[in-house]
Parts: sequence; C-alpha cells; structure tokens
Amino acid sequence: MVLAAGYLGFGALANGSAFPLWAALLSTLTIFALPGQLVMLEMSIAGAAPLVIVITVSLTAARFLPMTVALLPTLRSSGWRPWRIYAAVHLLAMTGWAASMRRVPELPREERLPWFVGFALTNWVACLVATAVGYLLAGSMPPLVKQGLVFVGPLYFVLILTGETRSRHGVAALACGAVVGPLIYTVAPEWSVLLGGLIGGTLAYAAVRRRRRA
Amino acid sequence: MLELALLVVACGLGTYLWRGIGLLISGRVRVDSEFFVWAGCVAYAMIAGLTMRIMLLPGGTLAQTATWQRLAACGIALVVYFVFRRNLFIGIAAGFVALIAVILLGR
Repeated sequence: MVLAAGYLGFGALANGSAFPLWAALLSTLTIFALPGQLVMLEMSIAGAAPLVIVITVSLTAARFLPMTVALLPTLRSSGWRPWRIYAAVHLLAMTGWAASMRRVPELPREERLPWFVGFALTNWVACLVATAVGYLLAGSMPPLVKQGLVFVGPLYFVLILTGETRSRHGVAALACGAVVGPLIYTVAPEWSVLLGGLIGGTLAYAAVRRRRRA
Repeated sequence: MLELALLVVACGLGTYLWRGIGLLISGRVRVDSEFFVWAGCVAYAMIAGLTMRIMLLPGGTLAQTATWQRLAACGIALVVYFVFRRNLFIGIAAGFVALIAVILLGR
C-alpha cells in the first residue's frame, strides 16, 4: 500500500520528465526496485552513457544480496524445484522482504515459499498498476496538480529514508550522500549518482569506523 | 526505442544479479562483514544524493517550481510525517497538498 504510493510518484515523475509509459512499466516489471528505477530514470534523462547507468543501477541493488542471504534459509524447503526459487527471488524487494522476515518463520516450512510468492506477486502487480495510474493521472491533470504528483517521487524517499534509517552507518551515509551528491552534480551530472554514492558512502563508512575506534 | 528497452532490461538483469548471487551463496557466507557494511553505505549515499539533487536541482515539470517552495513543502511533509508517528501515507499527502498550497500562495 505504502510502496504503491512510491510507484504512483515514480509514474508521475516519469510523465513529468517525458519518459515513455511503456519504459516506466517495463522497469517496474524487470527491475522492481524503486531506488534503482529512480536512478535509471534520472540518469537516462540526464543523458548518461548506458553502461554507466547499468553499473549505477546495479550498485543501488547491492542491498538485495544480504537481504536474500538472510531470508533464503527460512524459505527453503526440500519439495521445491530450484527454478521456482530463482524465479521467486526476482520478486524480492524491501516491503516483501520486511514482511517475510517477520511472518515466514511462524509458518510451517512447506507453506513458506507459497506465502512469500503470493505476497510478493500481489505487491508486484499493485506496483505495476500504481506506475500506470501515476503516469496517466499526472498526464491528465492541470500543471499545478501534476507538479504536486511529480513531487511525491522524491518526497517518498526523503520521508522513508529519514524515518526508517536506524543504524549509525545508515544515518552517516545519508548525511554524507545528501551533501556530496548534489555537489558533484554541479561538476559532473552524468557521474554524480555513482561518484556521489562511492565518495559519500566511503566517507560515512570511514567516519563511523574512526568514531568506533576513538 | 529498442535502445531504451535494452537499457531497462539490462538494469533489471543487473538488479537481479544480486538477488541471484544472494540465493547461490546463502547459508555459506556471513553478511555482517565489513564489505557489506561499506556496500550498504554506498547504496544509502547514492539514494540520498540523488533525492537531494532532485529536491534542489530538479529537471522536467518540477523545475518550474522555486527551490524554497519545494523545500517548504518537504519540511511540512517531514513534520506531519513525524507528528503522525511516521505514517508515510499522511506525510506524502501533506507534502502533495503543501507544494500546491505554496505555489498558489506565491502567485
């Protein structure tokens, strides 16, 4: 439900940036990770080289590795063919993961994967619909309302990042990234997301490490 | 059009890669190592930097709004969000209404 609001904003943002609807939908279908989709949208509009876009988007998805590693041992059950699990993890995204980490261990082993797939699939379809609705809504509204809808795209991240980031590393990385990212953009727009993340993230990591030692 | 489609699908593959590798190595590797902590920092910094950049230096439709208008609406949304115990839905709705209100007021 809440994630759908994010995709509504993404759809509106795509419309506001003159990004085609089919490509926005395709990205929800194939990427299904809102931060990566936002990065792809913004970078392709800024005219970044395709290879740089793919590398940057892939890096924003690195969080899925520890998430999958953490969730999978509880999902596995001997009765399932491997390809089903490989197909199922494509649907793994933040919302489904957080819910599954809570609910799945309470279920009997053979019901876990079906529960996860059912939940994640519903999410996936809802996000596809929300992308289209946001896009079409933004296209049919007067400019004022359209600006409000497009604004939901970045606002979603501001709220969720400030509200849900708890770890010391996370908070430090947000602060460093928020400063470094826009600064680099003024010098090298097409590299700003990648460089800003690498520099800001490394700064934050080093700062927390030094404080831990001190 | 084909190029854009290929780009999107390639981004999708790059994203799936992490899910797939995670599945492959699950049960065999520790995820609390320093490398993953650093990778997490980079991912957070990327998204924070991009979000901040869109807020301060947007393109497209949002470029027609003033920076102070976006920041004011963002500030109002943040306050409402925390007052309503981090209710994302109410926070976003507040930001949406606030941006439209400040634009109307600025006319």
